[in-house]
Amino acid sequence: MPAKDLAKSPPEERLVNLVVALMATEQGITKDAILTSVSGYREQSEAGASKDALEKMFERDKEALRGLGVPIETLGERADPDDLREARYRVPTSEYVLPEDITFTSAELALLNLAGGVWSESSLSADARSGLRKILALGIPVDEPIIGYSPRISLRDPAFPALQQAIEQTKVVRFSYLKPGEDAPRARRVQPLALIEYEARWHVFGNDLDAGAERTFLLARIVGPVEITREAFPASLRADAGEKALAGLEEVAARNSALLEVNPGTEAALRLSRRATPAEQGIRLPFVDIHILADELASYGPEVRVVEPPELRAQVIARLEAALHVHGGAR
Amino acid sequence: MNARKPLVATDRAQIMLQLVPYLIGKGEVSITEAADEFGVTEAHMRAMVEKLTVIGLPGDGGYWQMANDLFDIDWDLLDERDIIVITNSVGLERAPKLTAREAAALLAGLQVARAIPGVGDSGIFTGLLAKLARGASSTPADVIVVPAPVDEVRSTVARALRQHVAVSFTYKAPNAEATTRTVDPVKVHMASGQWYLQGWCHLRESMRTFHLDRVSDLELTDIRIAHGEDPVPAWFAPGTAGDVKVRLQFSEEAASLLQDYLDRATRETTDGVTIATIRVADEFSLRRLATRLGGVGEIIEPESARRAAAEWAEAGLAQYR
Repeated sequence: MPAKDLAKSPPEERLVNLVVALMATEQGITKDAILTSVSGYREQSEAGASKDALEKMFERDKEALRGLGVPIETLGERADPDDLREARYRVPTSEYVLPEDITFTSAELALLNLAGGVWSESSLSADARSGLRKILALGIPVDEPIIGYSPRISLRDPAFPALQQAIEQTKVVRFSYLKPGEDAPRARRVQPLALIEYEARWHVFGNDLDAGAERTFLLARIVGPVEITREAFPASLRADAGEKALAGLEEVAARNSALLEVNPGTEAALRLSRRATPAEQGIRLPFVDIHILADELASYGPEVRVVEPPELRAQVIARLEAALHVHGGAR
Repeated sequence: MNARKPLVATDRAQIMLQLVPYLIGKGEVSITEAADEFGVTEAHMRAMVEKLTVIGLPGDGGYWQMANDLFDIDWDLLDERDIIVITNSVGLERAPKLTAREAAALLAGLQVARAIPGVGDSGIFTGLLAKLARGASSTPADVIVVPAPVDEVRSTVARALRQHVAVSFTYKAPNAEATTRTVDPVKVHMASGQWYLQGWCHLRESMRTFHLDRVSDLELTDIRIAHGEDPVPAWFAPGTAGDVKVRLQFSEEAASLLQDYLDRATRETTDGVTIATIRVADEFSLRRLATRLGGVGEIIEPESARRAAAEWAEAGLAQYR
C-alpha cells in the first residue's frame, strides 16, 4: 500500500480505523501508540505533522465518536488519574454493540418498521431509519409488512431538535416565549424534561427556573432559537418525566370544559362531537388550552355558540370581531 | 429541518460503522439496494465500499497492515455484477447500540402504532419498549405521543381492513349533501389526529379518500373487497392545493399559526409583514381560516373571499347579540 495515497486519507476513514483499533484491544492503547500506528494518524505522523496538531486531532475525533454513541473509555494512570500521558483508550465491545441477548421476532420487526415510518420529513425520520437499520443488521427475517395503515406524526416546530438535545444532555435552555394576551415574548429559563405531543401539538415539559415550578410550554409559541446553556441539572429529574407531563395535561383537560351549542350536520358538529359528551344544553368539551380552543371555535363561525365558560366566550367573540374588522370593508 | 443536508465526515463515519454490520447481516446485497437503504447515491455507496478495503487494524510494530488486517470485499462481484459481499472483516460485525435519538424516534413511533386497533398486542409493545431501552447507548429523551382516541367508526374501519370486507356509511363532504357510500377499504392515513380512509368507492367507481370525521352510520358489509390491490394515488393532506389563488397578509408572529397553509405558498416579506400566495380548493374554506386567525391575518384577494370572511364572522357574532 503506497503511503503517498494515504497521507491525505479522508477523516471518516481515520475515524473508522480508530474505532476498529480501540475495539480490538482489551487492555487499551496509549495515545502515542494510536498516533503512530492507526492508519490516518500514522501517515500524518510520518509526513512530519507536529505532535501537538495530531493530539488535537485525536481529541476532536474522540469527541466526534462519542457524539455518535461510541463509548470510548479512558483508563488513567492509577497513581494520578489526572495524568493522561500514560492513559490508555479502548472501546468495550459489550458497551458498543447491541447486547447479544437482544433479539427480535419477525412480528416485532414488522411493528418497528411501521413505527419507524411515522416521521415523514422531519429530522427524527433519519434517526428512526438509522435505528431500524441497526436492528435489521442483526439478520433476522422480516415478517410480512403491516399494510393498510400509514400513520404520520407531524413535527414542524424548529425548537424541537435543540430541546431534545438539551434533555439528553440535561442542560438548562433559554428561549423567548410568547404567551397569548401578552404584547411581547418573555425570556424563560427551563430545565427541559420531556417532549409531548398532545392533541396534535408539541409541548415541552420542564422546570421553569424563574417561576420555580413545573410548566408545560407549547413549542409553537417559542419565538426564535432555543439556546442550550452550559448549566447542567441532575439526570434524576428526568425520571418518569413523560408520565408526569401526560398526567399534567390530562389533569388540565379534566378540569376545564366548555359548554357548546352546535348546529347539527355542520363541520363543527362533525369535528367536535367525537371529542365531547352530550350535555343538557348542547355538548361538553374538555380542553387544555383556552386560546387554541378559541382559535378553533372561531373558525366555525355561526356553526357553534359558546355558552360557558365566559372567558372562552369572550375570546371567541374577540376573534370574530377582529376578523370582521379587517375583512369588513373593501380594500 | 431538511433531512437531506450535506453529510459531514462524522456522518460518513457513522454510515460506514453501520455499513459493515448491515452488509454482514445481508450476506450479499446489490449496490442499488444498499444505496437506497442508506439514502445515498449508488456512486457514493460504491465509493464507501471501496474505501472500506483500506480500513482495518493498526499495523504491528511499524509495519504496514497485512491483507488479513483489513476489510476486504469480492471485487469481481462488485465490478461485474454490482453486488457487495464482505470476504474479510476485522471487527464491527455486530450492529452498534442505538443512539438515544434513534431509540427515542422508534419509541415514539411505537406509541402511534399502538393506537391502531388490532396491530400487535400489548405484550409485544411492552417487550419492545424494554428491548429498545436496553439497546440504547444512553437514556433517550422522553418523547411522548398521545394518539387521538379510537372511536367506534375507527375501530370498525380497522376491523374491515383485517377482514377484507367493504364498509357502508353516510358521508358528508363540505358544502355538499350527505351521500351513502360503499367502500372497499385499502389504506388508513393518520395525520395530526385525523384519520382518512382511502378506498374503492362503489358509487364513484374509483379510488377516493374519506375523512373519518365526516363519516357516520358506518357498518361492516359482507361484500368481499375486490379492489384491495388497485394502485392507490399519492396522498396529500386535504385542503393543501387547488385552483383558487389567494393572497394573504400577516405579521411574522402569525406565521407559525399558518404552517399548514404555508407549505406550498410563495412568500414575500417586507418590514415584518408577509404576503403569501397560496392555492386552495375553494374560497369558502378561507373564511374559516380568517376567523381562526382573528385579525392577525387578512385575506387581501379575491374580494369574494374577503366578503365571505366578513359575513362568516358577522353570522358568528349574531349568535351572541
